[in-house]
Amino acid sequence: MSASVTVPPTAAAPRSPKSAGRPSGRRAPKGIRKSEGIAGWLFTAPMLIILGLFLVVPVLMALWVSFSDWSGRGSPFASGVNFVGLDNYDELLAGGGLAERDFGVALRNNAWYVLLVVPIQTALSLFLAVLVNRQVLKGRGFFRTAFYFPSVTSSVAITVLWLFLFGASGAVNKVLSWFGVNGPNWFQDPSGVVHNLLATVGITQGPAWMTENTTLGVSWWDWWAGPSVAMSAFVLMAVFTTSGTFMLLFIAALQNLGGDVQEAAMIDGANGWQRFWRVTLPQLRPTLFTVLTLGLIGTWQVFDQIYTGTQGGPGKTTVTPAYLSYTSAFESQDWGRGAAIAFVLFVIIVVLTIIQRIVLRDRPVSKRRMRAYSIASSQTANKEGRP
Amino acid sequence: MQRRSSLAVALGLAAATALTLSACGSGFDDAGETGAAQDGSAGLTVLIGSSGDAETKAVTDAVAAWSEESGTEATLNTASDLNQQLSQGFASGKPADVFYVSTDALAGYAANGSLYPYGDQLSNKDDFYPTLVDSFTYDGQFYCAPKDFSTLALIINTDLWTAAGLTDADVPTTWDQLTAVAQKLTTPEHVGLAFSPEYARVGAFMAEAGGSLLNEDGTEATVNSPENVEALEYVKSLFSSGVAKYSSDLGAGWGGEAFGKGQAAMTIEGNWIAGGLQADYPDVKYTVASLPAGPGGEGTLQFSNCWGIAADSPNQEAALALVEKLTSTDQQLEFAKAFGVMPSVQSAAEQWKTENPDKAAFLDSADYAQGVPTLEGSADVIKDLNSQLESLSTGDPAAILETAQKNMEAIVQ
Amino acid sequence: MSAATSTLSPATPTAAGGAPEQPRRRRSGRFIASTSLLYAILVVIAIIYIFPFLIDVATSFKSDAEAASDPLSLIPQTWTTAAYERLFLNSDFPTWFANSAVVTVFVTIGRVFLASLAGYALARLDFRGRNVIFAGLVAVMSVPLVVLLIPKFLVINQLGIYDSYAGMIIPLLVDAAGVFIMKNFFESIPASVEEQARIDGAGTFRIFWSVVLPMARPALITIVILSFQGSWNELSHFIVSTQSPELTTLTKGVASLASGQLSQGTQYPLKLAAAAIMTVPVAVMFFIFQRRIMNASEGAVKE
Repeated sequence: MSASVTVPPTAAAPRSPKSAGRPSGRRAPKGIRKSEGIAGWLFTAPMLIILGLFLVVPVLMALWVSFSDWSGRGSPFASGVNFVGLDNYDELLAGGGLAERDFGVALRNNAWYVLLVVPIQTALSLFLAVLVNRQVLKGRGFFRTAFYFPSVTSSVAITVLWLFLFGASGAVNKVLSWFGVNGPNWFQDPSGVVHNLLATVGITQGPAWMTENTTLGVSWWDWWAGPSVAMSAFVLMAVFTTSGTFMLLFIAALQNLGGDVQEAAMIDGANGWQRFWRVTLPQLRPTLFTVLTLGLIGTWQVFDQIYTGTQGGPGKTTVTPAYLSYTSAFESQDWGRGAAIAFVLFVIIVVLTIIQRIVLRDRPVSKRRMRAYSIASSQTANKEGRP
Repeated sequence: MQRRSSLAVALGLAAATALTLSACGSGFDDAGETGAAQDGSAGLTVLIGSSGDAETKAVTDAVAAWSEESGTEATLNTASDLNQQLSQGFASGKPADVFYVSTDALAGYAANGSLYPYGDQLSNKDDFYPTLVDSFTYDGQFYCAPKDFSTLALIINTDLWTAAGLTDADVPTTWDQLTAVAQKLTTPEHVGLAFSPEYARVGAFMAEAGGSLLNEDGTEATVNSPENVEALEYVKSLFSSGVAKYSSDLGAGWGGEAFGKGQAAMTIEGNWIAGGLQADYPDVKYTVASLPAGPGGEGTLQFSNCWGIAADSPNQEAALALVEKLTSTDQQLEFAKAFGVMPSVQSAAEQWKTENPDKAAFLDSADYAQGVPTLEGSADVIKDLNSQLESLSTGDPAAILETAQKNMEAIVQ
Repeated sequence: MSAATSTLSPATPTAAGGAPEQPRRRRSGRFIASTSLLYAILVVIAIIYIFPFLIDVATSFKSDAEAASDPLSLIPQTWTTAAYERLFLNSDFPTWFANSAVVTVFVTIGRVFLASLAGYALARLDFRGRNVIFAGLVAVMSVPLVVLLIPKFLVINQLGIYDSYAGMIIPLLVDAAGVFIMKNFFESIPASVEEQARIDGAGTFRIFWSVVLPMARPALITIVILSFQGSWNELSHFIVSTQSPELTTLTKGVASLASGQLSQGTQYPLKLAAAAIMTVPVAVMFFIFQRRIMNASEGAVKE
């Protein structure tokens, strides 16, 4: 391989996905075009078949199941299976029963998880990236490795480890006891963190307007319970396992920043903190967008940790929509409801992503970022429960 | 523009693959690749959710012995998550032939036609305890043979008992006495009583108070009855006086673990605790007593699994023969010896008591034991109740039961 | 030359050749203080990140009782390999390991081949429908995969590959992100390379296989790393695609170990030993390709 074949990627980066589609600077004769057409389809056929079979068809099939009364025996297309319209969705969103409340609880649990994990992991990974990116720093490689390593290990292994560390008399509580803190029995404690905080100032009962009004079968007071102590342990775990990946994205972005702006700011007399806020951060906006989007998508899909660790306990406070969907189908034989939960979750994720896109609107995603997106998304896949 | 073309792709792919699917779908029933039983003569697969190595070995041996006798091949698998594996098996049309079914899963499987209701064909049908037969009857049909059963009793650590200056005469027979001994047994190192945070333990107190989740014939929800409220109030008072704790609050996975580790002097468990203690804490000495009577008299809960046969099993005849063998009096006594369960047939009772005098309390309480609800959907209701019982020590008993009552009413209809 | 190669690597989210040099500052006392503070912070955080793994390994060599009584110490008072003996001699652990290995190998090979094939077609071949396929790929990437838990089971089941290696491997063979990475890479290779081969009369596949693919080594390594890590750590797909104990993978097996059945007790050394072993292959992979994963442009700066 010779150096002449490599192009500086900076040259490739500004190309938008659209223009990237065209083979650059080449006009092929007609005959070759035709054979290319056949080859093109042949080359992409395996991918199309597999993605079609295991992605597109499953989605359509599940859509059917979510509108049917299939009870989990034999084929969902058998003659005995009936179309029940929106019954499954109705039961879930307005049924007034246990199904609705379970879904409400799962949404609450996951919403708090997202609310905590996304900002913390974003801030922490940016912080780590800024620290590690210092040119003067010796042993940068070591620190990067240390911070990134949790990201490559399996979520099952990390969950097992977490169960041990956060045991009643586990390592974490031992460390806390050095500081005179009597640590909670993490994975057995269903009490909500916000409720606990309010209790320290003497508020143990919500006002009537909060306890009497319910959304999705859960009272407003309970919506405000915060993540349970058990869920908080999972929040810490998510931060621990994903901050490394996002740190890499930020490092990459930092290294791409133009030094001239920084220098100009420095000449203007801005100190480090001001430079970071006024100059660096705005330039990092595209990466910030990527990290937030990936975080949002990933954190709404928590499954592996729950399946391995708590199975939804204590007190259903670690049930997530993804896990609820799984248990409804595979354990309670409510396949229609399970599929319906999955689709509602799908809608939630899409809507939130769109909202976020509008709020943080910026220039279109460049190809470079697209590339970063693909890597990070595969790397975070297992970490945040994306199967 | 981009969106439209992606939709076009999706639809095109769907159309193309739907063809493939329908072509393959027609034959999936016999296209298995695992080599499991596919046709009538090929043999049986047995799927169990085992409590440990002892149970696995005993059942494996029994199945192998039957296999040799009958000439029908049979292989045994243990499931890590029985319900999930059964569900996937039923949906795939390739379920195991014979398997354990828990009482709370029965209704779901029976309702969707996954189970073969063979109960009435059993030659030893009348020998099973009637309450157990009830537990495995759905919609008037006796679906499957109870494989064994157990009841809850009070397990007492003998060393801690004597250390607290208690004698055999002090074994509690009423709630007040239970409170008193728990008080005496509580030290800074351990609590008097510990049990798992679930209906399957706390429910025993409800039974003692004279309450239950459903009325006699299962047509009405009675979760919020005054008896049940009284039971939970009592349990809550045990917690608040510090003489009892949930095993989870002690960092233990279940009552037996807290008991074995010496974190609790007493626990409420079934006869499976014998095997658990034997394996993990062989040095702990203990005695078994019937649970104390409450305001409603004596009461306890009973649990059982049955031997289900799949409706899709190609060899139901052989499966039935295997189940008859596995539930026979002799075989059940064998199992009892191997992993400490109680036979589900009355004809084995006397011999079992003679062989297990120290565990007689478990069988004695069978007379008044209450089964857990088996209505379709009751498993979810109980799961929800469990989640609330976890915070009983800070919660309001009446409110907890009120919620469960509403959920139960929704499924009783 | 190696510098040029590594800047090309799609493994590095960065594309720039190097970071701008910070203007040198005078080494004042304040500077030294802030640098020490920086190191102190980094060291503390690094310890927090590494310590759990050390505890994992240390505890796996402890007895059950010691693991419970002293969860923090890194040196067992009495070393025991009981957990490992139990795992390897007296459990299904070797089967789980073998299954994970088989699946990972096939999935990795498959993904590398199929992703480069499709990536090449999308980047280089001019054919009708290419833009549609590309748009479809973007759409597919945005489907949250957890939605597929139930339906994937349904389809695998309907195809008759439920509870088989085929059902475990085939659905994992294509990963849209991999196709993306390869497509981006191939686009950065100048067309003149193929032109020459074409003039020599080579067919499309031949050009792809013998000319372009060998040049794609950095990108291929990226795909290998991602596929290896992804399939080795995969859990939910195996939950819905298999039921037999003979087909249990490490993730599924260890998860069942963790959610422990009655009477198994806590047995932390056993579980942590299992977790440690399942981390080893990805860790080895990680350290072999560490520089590529972390930041290949580092090399460019040095040279």
